[in-house]
Amino acid sequence: MIPFTVIGGFLGAGKTTLLNRLLGEAVDRRFAVLVNDFGALDIDSRLVTAHGGDTLALANGCLCCTIGDSLVTTLLDLLERADRFDHIVVEASGVADPGRIADLAALEPRLQRDGVIVLVDAAEVRERAADRRLTDTIERQIRSADLLILNKVDLVTDPGGDSGADLAALRDWLYRQSQAPLFEACRAAVPMGLLFGLDRLGITADAPPSADFASWSYTWREPVPRQALTDLLHDAQRGVLRAKGIVRFDDSPDRRSIVHLVGRRIEIRDGGPWGDSPRGDTPDSRLVLLGLKPVLGCLKRQ
Amino acid sequence: MTTTVYSARRILTMNPSQPFASHVAVRDGRILGTGSLDQLKGWGKFDLDDRFRDKVILPGFVEGHSHAFEGGVWKYPYVGYFDRISPEGKRFKGLKNIDEVVAALAVHEKTLPKGTSLLAWGFDPIYFGGRRMDRGDLDKVSTERPVVVIHSNFHVANANSPVLAKANITRDTNVHGIVKDAAGEPTGELQEMAAKFMAYRAAGVELSAVLSDKEAIWRFARVAQLAGVTTATDLHNDLPESTVDGYLQATQSADFPIRILPAFAAGSVAPAEGVPRLQGLMKKNNERLRFQLVKIVTDGSIQGLSARMRWPGYYDGTPNGVWNIGPDDIDRILLAYHKAGFQVHIHTNGDEASEVAIEAVERALAAAPRWDHRHTLQHAQMADAGQFRRMKALGMCANLFANHLFYWGDIHYAKTLGPERAERMDACGTALATGVPFAIHCDAPVTPIGPLFTAWCAVNRLTASGRTLGEAEKISVADALRAITLGAAYTLKLDEELGSIDVGKRADFAILDDDPLQVAPDKLKDVGVWGTVLGGRIFEAPRA
Repeated sequence: MIPFTVIGGFLGAGKTTLLNRLLGEAVDRRFAVLVNDFGALDIDSRLVTAHGGDTLALANGCLCCTIGDSLVTTLLDLLERADRFDHIVVEASGVADPGRIADLAALEPRLQRDGVIVLVDAAEVRERAADRRLTDTIERQIRSADLLILNKVDLVTDPGGDSGADLAALRDWLYRQSQAPLFEACRAAVPMGLLFGLDRLGITADAPPSADFASWSYTWREPVPRQALTDLLHDAQRGVLRAKGIVRFDDSPDRRSIVHLVGRRIEIRDGGPWGDSPRGDTPDSRLVLLGLKPVLGCLKRQ
Repeated sequence: MTTTVYSARRILTMNPSQPFASHVAVRDGRILGTGSLDQLKGWGKFDLDDRFRDKVILPGFVEGHSHAFEGGVWKYPYVGYFDRISPEGKRFKGLKNIDEVVAALAVHEKTLPKGTSLLAWGFDPIYFGGRRMDRGDLDKVSTERPVVVIHSNFHVANANSPVLAKANITRDTNVHGIVKDAAGEPTGELQEMAAKFMAYRAAGVELSAVLSDKEAIWRFARVAQLAGVTTATDLHNDLPESTVDGYLQATQSADFPIRILPAFAAGSVAPAEGVPRLQGLMKKNNERLRFQLVKIVTDGSIQGLSARMRWPGYYDGTPNGVWNIGPDDIDRILLAYHKAGFQVHIHTNGDEASEVAIEAVERALAAAPRWDHRHTLQHAQMADAGQFRRMKALGMCANLFANHLFYWGDIHYAKTLGPERAERMDACGTALATGVPFAIHCDAPVTPIGPLFTAWCAVNRLTASGRTLGEAEKISVADALRAITLGAAYTLKLDEELGSIDVGKRADFAILDDDPLQVAPDKLKDVGVWGTVLGGRIFEAPRA
């Protein structure tokens, strides 16, 4: 199954900047990125290996497609070439509800819904959301987020003034609308591993993405109480940005449960019986968490 | 240089200095003159053609808002509630309950090769007294072949069990657009993006091509021509190379029966790319094909509850609809095409969308003053008198969705808009009173193409249940006939070339069996169309 990520956020929130980073930094994975407009992307022409109408192929294996008039047909066309990429990222339009786009993954067995990442322009969002024609559009986007990126915080954090209070008020406003973890950034600088996972499977334990983040892996020999684990993940949602693992739950010890968390969204699906693995692995539960250092520190002590 | 003079029972010219005539002279595909035979004799030698002597001649009808997609969907069976005429002129009887739909699909299913999907369109359950179709119904058509029935609004579809199974849609699938029954099982009804995705998925990726290839364009032209149309728009198209090729091939044929104006979908690429592309396409224009229009789609539809509404919003309390292109982008895109000299057609169903579009035009004019831009609100279904006054002041036009009154008027009265706003929707009377140049339209394939029916809607304002929706907004038959000819031509900036029977204009006629000014206004839709004349070439319609 191909991981499917949707990047949302109102006009000017930094979606294109984020996608430029993704395309520039992608090394071990071939992303297919569906964008509204090639023109806005900042792609070094020397890295373009092929340009055919609606598609650009890059030297690092990534593909860029313009969505044109219909996301549905663009996506279905892309899936005809599913062997050429490892992860699909869709740039939602500035007024679209990215959650609705992510729903497509539920209709397509080849897709695995990964996350809805919504960028928010720290300097502008309150004013834009106060416009009655845009209020509901912007609030829907924020409510759809699995992970929120509060972008351009440098524009509201001025140590000389009292705008630190603005940032605190902004955080409160976002928290009132969404349970999603909030990640603060300037110029959409977010470790890509946090947004898209560190490898094709999701995340790995041994690649600390940056100084502020930590990863933590855990192995249980005994069956894991389902309720306890989901409660723990729910509690930690605002600090755990991703989790991935195969767990043997106490209520279904004979089957693998695949746990996948992106931001506030936890998905647990059946991974088949333990016995049928060609590697004959032991039924140990393994879970890898990735998140903000202080939060993970607390978890570790529990 | 041959001249043909046609006699007629009566000619309605739309030319106020000579509104009626008995004869029209045609030379080189253009109108040489109208009047009596005596008045035309001075032009020299002519052939007198009496074949229309019992007929009534009008300017060829101009459909200002339709989609060539109408020709695309006729590739598939029509299963709607109302009768509909196919491109071949065959009358498809309306199917009056779900069992009739299932029976028709079962017959069609037997004609399909193994391994293909069955797609059908035009289905509308709102007339079935609350009963919805479910997958059980469609499983009677086939339990092996994927079956998808697309509703007349093109935003909802029904699927059978194989379609759901192939996509792993079960009771555990919790996403928007998958309708479930009381027991939590998916019923097979799919809405919005889910409907579109599953229809394309079932049909395969070739569906896009089938819906817009050369054959589809031909079918669209034929359906339009049967209704007396000589000029029609394809009012929202990405215009990929394959579609442009299809257009060029189809319109190069002298047998192609209409003039067609595709409107470039301005939201599909950035204006910096779109403007030169459209300028390039205009160099390929021919007598039957005109690239010149630009379209911006702002909101959704009222019946789909996706139109952007001003306060107080939907009558039944449904939350406000969605922007397809938001206010900032409307400004940006409009300004770019406005500056480049294009006329822009802006889809606005809800009144908030109309407000945003009007203000965008106002800002564009302040930034780059232009005369006679004729930017046109398309649908403008909820525009009120104040918005019409602003449109007039800014030099804008409106193309109102009169057919909507009949097909969805009852729903708007009871649920979406409530009585008061439903009675003033598609306000032709207000457009006339405020002096906003206007046309009326069908939005085919959403409703069938048929300008006389559209005119009937604007004149009578009757809903499907027989309710008169807004006495005050009715217009006269003469005004309605103008709206489907010269009025529509004006909104396309073609009124100096088309839309009336006047010296020097193209010889494009609708040939009618009766005189629409003589029949009772409530019989306007029943006036028969004998055929059309396009640039002097005669196209007789097969009788349905």
